[in-house]
Amino acid sequence: MKVWRLSLFNLRKNKKEAIGIAFLTMVTTLMLSIVVSNQAKINTAFEESFRASGSVNTCVHFQADTYRSAFRTILEENYEVSRLSEGQGTYADMADVLDRDGTVVSYNLFFVTEKTERKMEDFVKGDQLPESEQERLEHPVWLPSFFQIVKGYVPGDVFSVLKAGKEYSFTVAGFYETGLMNNSGYYLKLVLTEEDYDLFAMLFSAGESSERRMLCFDAGEDYDNEEYLELCTEAASENVSISTRYIDEREEKIGETSFLEIFMMMLTVLALVTFVAAIFLIRHKISNDVEDQMQQIGVLEALGYRSGEISRSYLYEYVISGGIGAVLGGMLAFLVAPLVDQGIRVMLGRKVVGSTGVLGIFLVMVLVVLVVVAFALWKARVVKNYPPVIALRRGIKTHHFGKNVVPLERFQGNVNLGLALKGFFSGRKSFFGVMICIVAAGTAILFSALTFTFFKDDTRGLLGMMGTDTDALRVSLMSGMDPEQFREEVLKLPQARKALIAYDGVTVSVKGSTSSAYVTIFDDFADAEQIMPYEGRCPERDNEIMVGLRRSKAEKIAVGDGMVIEYGGIEKKYLVTGIVGCLHNGGSTVFLTSDGYQRLNGNARKNVVQIYPKEGVSLGELEAAITAHFGGSAKDAVGEMALGSSLEAKIRSAAQEKIATLLTQYGVTDLDYAVQVGDQLITGNGRSFVIREINSYEGIIRTQMLPIARTTKYFSFAAVILIAIIVAVILYLIASGDVRRQRQSLGIMKGLGYSSKDLMTQIALKQMPTILLGILLASVCVYFLNKAFWGLLFATIAETNWAVIVVTDLALAVFCYVVTYLSAGKIKKISVNELMTE
Amino acid sequence: MASFILKTEKLCKSFSNGGLQQHVIKNLDLEILEGDFTVIMGSSGSGKSTLLYALSGMDKPNMGKIRFCDKEIQGYSNDELAVFRRGNCGFVFQSVYLLENQTVLDNVLTGALIVQKNSPELVKKAKELLLKTGLREEDLKKYPNQLSGGEAQRVGIVRAVINDPKILFADEPTGQLNSASSKDVLDIFSEIHRNGQSIVMVTHDLKTALRGTRVLYLRDGGIVGDYRMPVYGEGDVRERRNGLAKFLEDMGW
Repeated sequence: MKVWRLSLFNLRKNKKEAIGIAFLTMVTTLMLSIVVSNQAKINTAFEESFRASGSVNTCVHFQADTYRSAFRTILEENYEVSRLSEGQGTYADMADVLDRDGTVVSYNLFFVTEKTERKMEDFVKGDQLPESEQERLEHPVWLPSFFQIVKGYVPGDVFSVLKAGKEYSFTVAGFYETGLMNNSGYYLKLVLTEEDYDLFAMLFSAGESSERRMLCFDAGEDYDNEEYLELCTEAASENVSISTRYIDEREEKIGETSFLEIFMMMLTVLALVTFVAAIFLIRHKISNDVEDQMQQIGVLEALGYRSGEISRSYLYEYVISGGIGAVLGGMLAFLVAPLVDQGIRVMLGRKVVGSTGVLGIFLVMVLVVLVVVAFALWKARVVKNYPPVIALRRGIKTHHFGKNVVPLERFQGNVNLGLALKGFFSGRKSFFGVMICIVAAGTAILFSALTFTFFKDDTRGLLGMMGTDTDALRVSLMSGMDPEQFREEVLKLPQARKALIAYDGVTVSVKGSTSSAYVTIFDDFADAEQIMPYEGRCPERDNEIMVGLRRSKAEKIAVGDGMVIEYGGIEKKYLVTGIVGCLHNGGSTVFLTSDGYQRLNGNARKNVVQIYPKEGVSLGELEAAITAHFGGSAKDAVGEMALGSSLEAKIRSAAQEKIATLLTQYGVTDLDYAVQVGDQLITGNGRSFVIREINSYEGIIRTQMLPIARTTKYFSFAAVILIAIIVAVILYLIASGDVRRQRQSLGIMKGLGYSSKDLMTQIALKQMPTILLGILLASVCVYFLNKAFWGLLFATIAETNWAVIVVTDLALAVFCYVVTYLSAGKIKKISVNELMTE
Repeated sequence: MASFILKTEKLCKSFSNGGLQQHVIKNLDLEILEGDFTVIMGSSGSGKSTLLYALSGMDKPNMGKIRFCDKEIQGYSNDELAVFRRGNCGFVFQSVYLLENQTVLDNVLTGALIVQKNSPELVKKAKELLLKTGLREEDLKKYPNQLSGGEAQRVGIVRAVINDPKILFADEPTGQLNSASSKDVLDIFSEIHRNGQSIVMVTHDLKTALRGTRVLYLRDGGIVGDYRMPVYGEGDVRERRNGLAKFLEDMGW
C-alpha cells in the first residue's frame, strides 16, 4: 500500500467534509480575488478618467460678491500653481430634477458654460448626438458621465430641471469626461449654452445657490487651502472662507471611491471569516481522521513508515479539496468580473477600463492553497505524538483519568442536557476552534443584520444620523409675520403633529479654526427628536455648546473644552457639553440654545417654524397642506413666469415674481405696487406671501444616498445568507463528524433506550455553550465594529440597535441549534447494533 | 402456568450482502415465558445474536410478528422501539459497551435517567447494586478503562437492571472474561433470576448455559431443540450438566 492512499481513502470516505472544505476555499478565493483584482482597478479607473478629462486638480469657488482680483495674485505669488484660469459657475443646491422615470429627485448641480468648462478641463466629449442634430437643439445640455453610467441617460433624452413650479427642459446633447464634480454626493457639473446659463444664474441666485467666481489651477505640493483663504481674508478684510467652496482631485476621489472601498473591506472581512472557517474545519477533520485511523497509523509505523511520511500523506486530501475550491473560486471570480466591473462603474460613475487582474486571481488561488496545505501539514504532525504501541492501542485519547465534570448523580434536570454538558466538557479541545468560527461568523452576520436593518427603509436610517430633525419641515416666514400665530394655525392642520418656533440657522466662525460652522438652534433640545449626543449632553444654558463629531475629531475638541464663536464681529466663549453624530453641513455643525445664540446675535428674531408631520404623513403631504393653506413660498415664486392668459393676469404674475425676488434676496420687508395700463390701475402688495421658503433634508439625502443605501442593503442581505450557509456548513460537518466519531457510544445509548431524537438533541445541545458564548462575544465585537464603521465612514455614530442584535442573536442561536440537530439526523438511519458493532 | 412475555410468529430476518440475500432467521415461532432464564445456543452463524437483537427491539425483523406482553412491536419506528426498550428491556453485551467518557456511576445513571427522574433514592439504589456486585466504593468514580473485564461487566449488568426491566437480554456476557470473572458474573445473573427477573441470554458456553431454565438450540435460522431445566441451584448439579450436555450433543453441538 502506498502511504498517500490513506489520504485518498479519507477523501472518498468523507466526501461531504471534502466538499465543505472545497466550498469554503472556493468562497474565500472568489471574494479575495474580487478584492485583489479590482482594488487597483478602482484607483486606476478614477485616475485614468481624471487624466482623460484633462482637468485641473483644484478649484476654489468664491462667492461672486466677495471675490477680489487680488485673490488670483495671492495665488500666483505664494504658490507654485499652473494652468491658472478664472471662470464662473452657478450652484443649485438641492435642485429638483425630473428623473427618467418621471419621479422628482434632488441633486446638487453646478452650471457652467462651455467657455468656463474648457478653462477647467479639456471638455472631452463621449457619446453624443450627431453634430447636425446638436446644431438644431434649442436647449442642449452636456452631462457628466455619471448620468450616463449611473442613471442610464442617453443622448437625445430630455433632462428637466424644476424651479418655481416650472419645468426647464433640456435635450441631452451628449456626455463628457469630467475630473471634478462627477459625484452625486457632492456636485454634478452641467454644461449649458450662454443663454441658458444666464437664465439659471438668475434662477439660482439666493443664499447658497448662487453664482461663484472660480479660480481653477493645478496646485503643487506647497498649496495649502486654509492658509490661502487666510491670505484672501486678510486681503479682503472680511472672512471669505465662510462662503468659499473648495474641491480638489483628492477630495473628489475620496467622495467617489469611499463606498467602494468599504465594500471591498466588507468583502475582505467576509473572505477572512470564510477562510477561518475552512482552516478550522481542516483542523477538526485532521484530528478526527488521525483518531479514527490510529490503528492504521500504528500498523504503518510498525511497518517502518516515519511519522513525517504519514503526516504528509494527509496533505493530498487538502491539496485536492483546497485546490478544487481555489480553482473554482478563481474561475468564478473571472466569470463574475463583468458584473463586478458594472458594479464599480455604477458606484464610481466613471468608465472602468483594463482587463481583470488574472495574475491577482492566480496569486490568490496559490496563496489559499498554500495556506490550506501549510495548516494541514502543521496539524497532521500530531501523528508524531503516537508511536506504534500507543497508536495500536488507539492512543490514550479514550483513557479518562480526569475529574468527572457534571456528575449525573448531582445533575437535576433533563438527562439529555446533562449528557450534552458532559460531552461539551470532554470535547473542550475543539471548543476554541468552534468558538472562533462562531465569533467571526456571528460578528459578520450581526454587522450585516445591523447594516441591513439600518438601510431597510433605504435612506431613512441615514436621515436619523443627520444631526438635525430631518423628519420636520423648516418653514422660514416673511418679515413681519408672527411665528406664534403661524404656529397656532399650522397646528390646526390635520397633517401637523408638532411645531416649534426657531431661528434661521446661520454660519459662524470658530476661533482658531479655518472651518466655519453652521449653527443649529433650539429653545430646548429636549424638543428635538433626532439629535442625540453620543457623548455628554445637549446644551442647556446660554454658555453651553455641542459640536458635531467630525469637527470634534478634526479639531480635537472634547467635552469640557472651551470654544470661542464669532459672529458679526462679536466673540463669545462657550463650554462644550456634548458631541453628536452629525452628517449635515459636512459634520461641522455646532448646536446652541436660543439664549446661547442671543449672546452672539442680540438682534436675531425667530422667523422659522419647524413643523413635524403626524404618523403616516409624508413631508411632501405636509408641505402640500401648508402651501395649500398659506400659499406658496416667495422663494418658489422667484423666476415664475406669467402664466395667465389675460394681460392683467400676466402683469400680476410678473409683479408677484418681482416682489418675491425683492423680498427674498434684497432684504425688502414690505412692498406695494401700482401699474397703470391705459385706464386700468392694477395694484397689489407683497403681503400675499406668508412663507419665505420651505426646506427639508429628505430629498437631497434620498437622491445622494439612495443607490448606495440600496446596494448596501442588498449586499448586507446577501452577506447574511452567505454567512448563514457557511455557519450551516461548519455545524453540519461538526455534527456529522460527531456522529461518525461517537457511533459506538451513540449505539450504546440507543441500546439503553435513548431515541434518535434524544441523541440528536444531545449533539445539538453539546454545541450550544460554545455557540452561545460565541454569539455573546460576537455581540460585543459588533458593537465596536459598528461604531468604528460609522465613525470611519461618516464621522458619525449610528446608535447601536440592541433590539436587532438581540433578535439576530436569538435567531442565530435557534438557527445553529436547528442546523446542528438536523445535521445529526444520520443517527436515525442507523440501527442500534449497526452503530455499536460497526 | 406462566404467561408469555415475548412471542414471535413467522419471524424472518435477512441481510443483504453484496446483492445476495442472507436469510438468518426463517419463519421462527417462539414463546419466552415470564420468569424464565432462557438460553439461546447454536453454532456460529446460526443467528443467535440476530434473534436476540430482533426480540429485544434493537433491530427490526423483515417479516413476522413480535408480541411483547400484549403489544406487537414489529411495526414500531426506531424511536418507538427506543421508548419500548427503555421501559421494558435491559441489555448486557459481550463487549460490555460502557460509555468511555463516563464514570462507573454515571454509566449506570445514564441508563436510569432516561426512564426515571434523578433522586437520592435512585443514586442510592445504583450505588447499592454496584456494591452488591462486588465493586468497591472507590470503583464507582473510575472510568471504564480503569476497570478489569469482570468489573466492567458487573457495571454493565447493574446498568441493565437499574430500571427493573421486564426482561433482561444478554449477549454472551462472559465471552471476554476469564473463568473466575465469568463465575462471578454468572452468579449475579442467577441471583437476579432467582429474584424473578426474566432473562434471555445468548451463549455458546456450557457453564453459562447451565444457569438457565430453558435452552433453545438454533440452527439455520430456526429452533431445532428446546430443553428445560430446574432453576439453577435446585437439584443435582452433575445430573443437570449431563442432561444439558446430552441435549447439546443430540443437537450436534
